[in-house]
Amino acid sequence: MTAANIRLPIPLVQALLVVSVLAAWEFVPQIEWMSAFSPVFDPFFVSSPSRIAQTLALLLSGERETPLLWSFAFPTLLAALIGTALGMTTGAAMGLLLSNVEWLSVALRPFIIAVNAAPRIALIPILVIILGPTLGAAVMTAVLVVFFIVFFNAYEGGTSVPLHVLHNAQLLGASRWNLMRHVRLPYVLVWTLASLPNALSFGLVSVVTAEIFTGTLGFGRVLMVAMNSVNSSLTFAVVFVLSIMGVLLVVGAEVLKRRWLHWWVQGRAGG
Amino acid sequence: MVDLGRGAPQGVQPDPIAGTAEAVRNAIVLDGVSFSYPGGVRALGQLTLSIASNRVTGIAGPSGCGKSTMLYLLAGLYRPEGGKILWQTEPGASASGRHPLAMVFQKDTLLPWLTVSENVGFSFTFNRIDQAEAKSRVDWLLEMVGLSEFAKAYPYQLSGGMRRRVAFLTAVAPFPSVLLLDEPFSSLDEPTRVAIHQDVLTIIREMRMTVVLVTHDLGEAISLCDEVAILTRRPGSVASRYEIPFGAERNILDLRQGRLFLELYGQLWRELSRQLEPGSKRSGARDR
Repeated sequence: MTAANIRLPIPLVQALLVVSVLAAWEFVPQIEWMSAFSPVFDPFFVSSPSRIAQTLALLLSGERETPLLWSFAFPTLLAALIGTALGMTTGAAMGLLLSNVEWLSVALRPFIIAVNAAPRIALIPILVIILGPTLGAAVMTAVLVVFFIVFFNAYEGGTSVPLHVLHNAQLLGASRWNLMRHVRLPYVLVWTLASLPNALSFGLVSVVTAEIFTGTLGFGRVLMVAMNSVNSSLTFAVVFVLSIMGVLLVVGAEVLKRRWLHWWVQGRAGG
Repeated sequence: MVDLGRGAPQGVQPDPIAGTAEAVRNAIVLDGVSFSYPGGVRALGQLTLSIASNRVTGIAGPSGCGKSTMLYLLAGLYRPEGGKILWQTEPGASASGRHPLAMVFQKDTLLPWLTVSENVGFSFTFNRIDQAEAKSRVDWLLEMVGLSEFAKAYPYQLSGGMRRRVAFLTAVAPFPSVLLLDEPFSSLDEPTRVAIHQDVLTIIREMRMTVVLVTHDLGEAISLCDEVAILTRRPGSVASRYEIPFGAERNILDLRQGRLFLELYGQLWRELSRQLEPGSKRSGARDR
């Protein structure tokens, strides 16, 4: 057996990778000349896994008058879920409509592309003026971001229906409405759900960004506090929790996708 | 008529003209029909052809001669550039509530999110029909082709042959008066294709449909059709027509082993070869 043929089990490789990174993060900044070499290796800026774990423990237990993690996590999660759901629904509906009505698509597409190209985060101050520093502003930011991700996917799905499939349904008696409802809609749903993991990730990120801007209750506010107090351990603790939340949401989305779209997933796997 | 020994569901109405001289009257007449694709490719030029009612008319010809285009014109998916397509009203067609026309496409038209029985009954989603009757039709059709046990399967769980059977059943489920078949089984291997032919023929005869079959498989044309028209090279027009004398009740496996089948195959092949010759454009619309 040659070295090239040796294959370690994937979970073992992943565990080794995590342990290596954590060990390097923990111990490299303790080497004095390394921290003098660059701020990247300075424990003040990059903290360490042990300190982050201690901060996380405080956030989870609420000891030493530390606000509990859940009080921040809940508003962020709620805003991300509502914003993503609204963005996905409106994006999918618009994608379905435009893929079914060609003239409307031709008329509106340039404007949609222009709005998509604009930095939507820059609109947050306007949302704050209109909605105030509220959960609503964070939700609307997520809607703005998610809408476009889903819209383009849904539109692509709606226009990807093969012409002979549409012709077949038409000859079987389907009206324009029937075609949209019974043929295009399932394609749009497939493409919409395909964008669900991305939509959830972007929804979460945009809500946190909005919270940083508005100072509303949520992980964004904690990050602002951490930045103002130059508390890198708190920053990394929040980032860690957000990552875990992101992973759980994406895994949940994948489970739903596999359940609802088993015919799609299996069909593709089977060629 | 083929006796299936199984009761057809309500909705399969006995044809009042079957077996009479009226039965072979024309259902559709293409009168000097021409068609060009955008970009100027002339697919059909002055095609004149009458399609007999309640019979299976086969259309064969060189590749690109406009066979499929002709079906798309008949289906109303394209509009003729010149000439006319005349439709005869079928006696009893409206009274029996039959669907006017359906088509089986060359490419897969099954909807992957629907089960086999939902695909077969897809037309009932928007054509109002009693639910019990819809179910009995679907069950009957699935039983006819031996797919009852796959009623709840999804298309991805079926073989190529099964998928084509389901696509065929989807088209015939609303009991169309006219059925257009665009090389429906061309993607299948020969044994599977022949096995499907008998099922197809049984259903066609049982439902008394006017069928136009476009095929490049001469064996398929002889097996299924009552008449075969060979088209010229592009722009297609009718070169010659052949009567296939096997009658309504035919056993496809048996007839394929007979001398007549081979003779007909030879005749059709010779005519097709003439059309395949470079520079040939032989049209005489001869009847054989």
